[in-house]
Amino acid sequence: MVYFNFIEQILISALILVCIGSFTWELSKRFKLVLKGEGTLPFDNIPARLWRVFEEFLLQKKVLQQRFIPGLMHAFVFWGFIAFALITIDHFFRGYNTALFTDSTRYFYSLAFGIPWSFLVLVGILYLAYRRFYLRPKYLGEKISYTSGIVAIFISTLMITYMIDAYWIVYDSHPSALTFKINWWIHAILILLFLFLIPRSKHLHLVLSPINIFFKSFDTPNHRAVPIDMEGDEEELEKLLTGMGKLTKSQTLDIFSCVECGRCTEVCPANRGGGVLDPKHNFILDLKNPIMETNSVDVVGNINVEAGWECTSCQACTEACPVGNEVEKADETRNLQVLVEGNVPQEYQKLFMNLQTTGNTEGSTSSSLSEKLPIYDGTQDFVLWLGCFSKYALDPKYGDSVISLTKILDKAKITYGILAKEKCTGEPANKLGDKLTYNMLMQENLETLKEVKKIITMCPHCSINLGTEYAKYEKIEYEVYHHTEVIEDLIKNKKITINKNNNDKVTFHDPCNLSRGMNVTKAPRTAINASCSNFKELDENGKNTLCCGAGGGLWWKKETVGKTHLVRAEQVIESGSDTVVTGCSFCYGMMNQGLGPLTPQDQEPIKVKDIADLVAENLS
Amino acid sequence: MKICVLMKQVASEDSPLKINNNGSGIDETNLNLITNEPDSYALEEALLIKEKTSGEVTICTLGPDSSQQVIKDGLAKGADKAIHITIEDLKNVSPLSMGKVIYNKIKNENFDLVLSGLQSNDYGHAQLGIIISEYLNYSHASLVIGTEVNEENSLKIKRELENGWFQSAELTLPACLSIQSGINQPRYATLKGIMSVKNKPVDKCDATELGISEDSGYKVEEVFLPKKAKETQFLDGSTDEIVSQLTDILKNKIKVG
Amino acid sequence: MKILVLIESINNKIHPVSIEALVAAQSIASENSVEIYPLCLNKNLIDDLSKFKCTKVLNVENLDLKNYEPMTYLDAAEKVFKSMDADLIMFGHTYETRDWAPRLSARLDIPFLSDCININLSDSKLIINRPIYQAKLIQKIALSGKGLVSFQAGSFSSENLLHENSPSESLSIELNSYDSIKQGERFQESAGGVDLTTSDFIVSIGRGLGKEENIPLAQSLADKINAQIGASRPVVDAGWLDHSRQIGSSGQVVSPKLYFSLGISGAIQHLVGMKGSKQIIAINKDPNAPIFEIADYAVVGDVLEILPKLTENL
Repeated sequence: MVYFNFIEQILISALILVCIGSFTWELSKRFKLVLKGEGTLPFDNIPARLWRVFEEFLLQKKVLQQRFIPGLMHAFVFWGFIAFALITIDHFFRGYNTALFTDSTRYFYSLAFGIPWSFLVLVGILYLAYRRFYLRPKYLGEKISYTSGIVAIFISTLMITYMIDAYWIVYDSHPSALTFKINWWIHAILILLFLFLIPRSKHLHLVLSPINIFFKSFDTPNHRAVPIDMEGDEEELEKLLTGMGKLTKSQTLDIFSCVECGRCTEVCPANRGGGVLDPKHNFILDLKNPIMETNSVDVVGNINVEAGWECTSCQACTEACPVGNEVEKADETRNLQVLVEGNVPQEYQKLFMNLQTTGNTEGSTSSSLSEKLPIYDGTQDFVLWLGCFSKYALDPKYGDSVISLTKILDKAKITYGILAKEKCTGEPANKLGDKLTYNMLMQENLETLKEVKKIITMCPHCSINLGTEYAKYEKIEYEVYHHTEVIEDLIKNKKITINKNNNDKVTFHDPCNLSRGMNVTKAPRTAINASCSNFKELDENGKNTLCCGAGGGLWWKKETVGKTHLVRAEQVIESGSDTVVTGCSFCYGMMNQGLGPLTPQDQEPIKVKDIADLVAENLS
Repeated sequence: MKICVLMKQVASEDSPLKINNNGSGIDETNLNLITNEPDSYALEEALLIKEKTSGEVTICTLGPDSSQQVIKDGLAKGADKAIHITIEDLKNVSPLSMGKVIYNKIKNENFDLVLSGLQSNDYGHAQLGIIISEYLNYSHASLVIGTEVNEENSLKIKRELENGWFQSAELTLPACLSIQSGINQPRYATLKGIMSVKNKPVDKCDATELGISEDSGYKVEEVFLPKKAKETQFLDGSTDEIVSQLTDILKNKIKVG
Repeated sequence: MKILVLIESINNKIHPVSIEALVAAQSIASENSVEIYPLCLNKNLIDDLSKFKCTKVLNVENLDLKNYEPMTYLDAAEKVFKSMDADLIMFGHTYETRDWAPRLSARLDIPFLSDCININLSDSKLIINRPIYQAKLIQKIALSGKGLVSFQAGSFSSENLLHENSPSESLSIELNSYDSIKQGERFQESAGGVDLTTSDFIVSIGRGLGKEENIPLAQSLADKINAQIGASRPVVDAGWLDHSRQIGSSGQVVSPKLYFSLGISGAIQHLVGMKGSKQIIAINKDPNAPIFEIADYAVVGDVLEILPKLTENL
């Protein structure tokens, strides 16, 4: 063994202390900022959280899913990192003339893990460098990232120095002390410099991502409730208003965990439609410097307002993020604009006014659909919650789909009734920042729903609000079901039988509120597979679905910079399907709006159906 | 600068409009009452001018008790105080009489500017703001689509004319402006604004105390549904049937190209 | 009864709405003892006015005509009205008259009935109809006494104008000067643009078309039938189309052979701009859309469904 003298050990110790000290200092600075955030970090459901860390962090599930080859290359580097953990510790021990491994262990460990992984890591990092600096994919940004360059050089050199070391071990050759030490010092210094670099760059994700993934919410989205009590005192209101400008602890941790990969922007429907919104910058990176410079988390005001209004709140960004970020912050910026600044786009002012004066989005006083349906009198199985879209015919044909559902329920001998006092769940107000109107509608609906036990609705926007969102404010006693869940249940329990009569080329557009918001992807497919013989998935399906563009209150937006609402319609047309089925009233409406103008002249117009229509058509 | 904004509560366009039993007016049940939209533009312009010149904005509304909502909404948006002249029923009152009543109330307030929406979306007389200018002996401009407050005593405005034409004008202060829709983007009331409403003063008085009188020469006799001068032919059927009917009309009846 | 009919001038010619006001006056003069005095402020109009049946054409000869001056016009009208002891002033409802007529109403302390569509005289009581609630309803007002009445463009037809040689008189009135309102230059903002007033066929786009992306559908139809594209104000406000396409009271007033409206509800400001069209076809989702009141052919339906099929069929 090559011997390290006392001076060298002092030097090693000093360097270790300085680098670990700097690392710890920078890390603690950021943790202090995280702790300044609102709310608490969650510790519930620990087994599920740990499992998620295992899948997403250790197994690199999301990294691999979005971009397979680069993801695999990254996985090599990451897994290599883990394989090298013990080797690195052993390396430093040797500076103190001791060892973690015996010689024979080191020999076998090198052969079995060290050398293979060093190759994989080297291939990985070189490919990633080639991709970033030569291919220059647009989601990684315009600017060249110097830290990435430095890291690439560091890792490559580390691997090479390791390989040299491993060669010596395996071939039992004895290099001169000088050669050995030069190799050793290069390796050691690079590792220590790495420690220096990590907290100051996006490479902090190495440390933070498992923690961030652990603390990620199970609800998507997961915005804070904003309970507004008009009768409350001024101080409470002041606190509420100042709180609105602040990020939560979890959101602050997200900013530091961000690895700047751009997957969020890549999947964003607004961005893909040509809009201004770029989630990576607008919702995450733009906030980093303000946080560091002001040493506070009062940075919601730094979010680009125009970009904030373009978001459909579809959560594709959150779903795609490999480090567990809850990216979307449209809710926060809109709350600020509406409640604190009073800057509301004109078309939304009318919407809010309609909700306030008539309890529905259209300012209407009558609903022809409501007149066709029985009233809930407390005895029926379900309250059939219609939602404003159906009631006021935001798409003139959707009312027929509601009737289709009633046919299915009738067949299964399930009773239902509509609420005469049904008011808008308030979802548009909730999503657009008018939490005052939202609170008002919620209180009224909760009063109406006091004795109700089960609700069925066709609109996932309604079901999410009646369920998850209301529950953030008050304890709710009822259960809400999306109609596809009920239909699946009926199929499984043989309460209805469906004939596989549909031979059209059918595809399914997963509503983002249903797949990501409610975690429901299997139920609609049960119905489709029972009724269709020729079902083909769209490329972006299930939890990776591409939003139709109507979410986040955008159905009512008159002017948009981009064409968010057309991207998915184009995909449906390109799929060559005859029929597109969906499970949300807004998706239904958007498909009709997008498909019509976009379908080429020579092509047959694509049929748009709801799951209820499909099932009702094929009931035996 | 002391600015007054005349605001009115009207039934919204979406309200079901039915004639009442004796045909004297509309059936007032089930009406969706809102602030007259052009007045929102006037209020916003007043608030913008107030922000540029510092001063105060007073809302003045003539109407029944329900008009309080107009005042609340306006105060929430940033007006400082309000005047509510109560009157049971406005439908038979001529704009001239309304102008007299309002004048009697505000003549001693020494407003520098009196703004109003171009017209109200219910009766659409489009006169009140200008009638007031005559009583107050102020300068005036209508269809104002842009304002620029210069020095202390003058005001530059831009007026909208027909056919895409515009005209600028310079007015001495004090002045009355009737504001055209689209001049600005009306703001939404902030939460703080809404909460501050309860602390803002509202001067309430009755129109009868201000000399409101029935205009003997002007009487609304009846309100009725318009008879169609021409026979409108509704085309029925499926989309395809409608399309073929339209094709026939276009090609054979109207003889288009 | 003495009626002054205010004659506005445009490009040194009689403004069409003033002709209509004259027709209105003539319509109640036929069976009653009514004197009609067209009052013009531009001497170039005297000759043409003298060909129409009336009592006497009046012209205020010392009026500065280069610019519209609200207070001067007010002054002149007040003085003529008083010196003639007139009962009524009638005129067209234009952006100009509505700027100063209300002041005249206050100054003379007589009511002003604006934007009217009909007038009848019986037992020295005038019965006047005017639209309310965006023309969804009509209000019938009885005017017994002096007043000002303005008429909506298109309410009376110039075809009903009675011709007869009439005398004229120039009045010299001492007018007050004032400087409280200084009118500036007139200017246009949309550079040039399409002149829809000369188009035979117009396909007009409203909010009911949904999104800007759907405009090509309308354009295809317009191309097929050789029509120009027009638009309602909301469409222009939203930036979908240029202001030069706007039809309505603050856009162009058109009377083509065919006005095909797509997804336009028919707010009064729009109707005023196109109700003189010879044939009107309207498609709208709302069965109660006011545009159906003046349409010859009405379709309650989805514009986006019908358009592509219709275009294909033509």
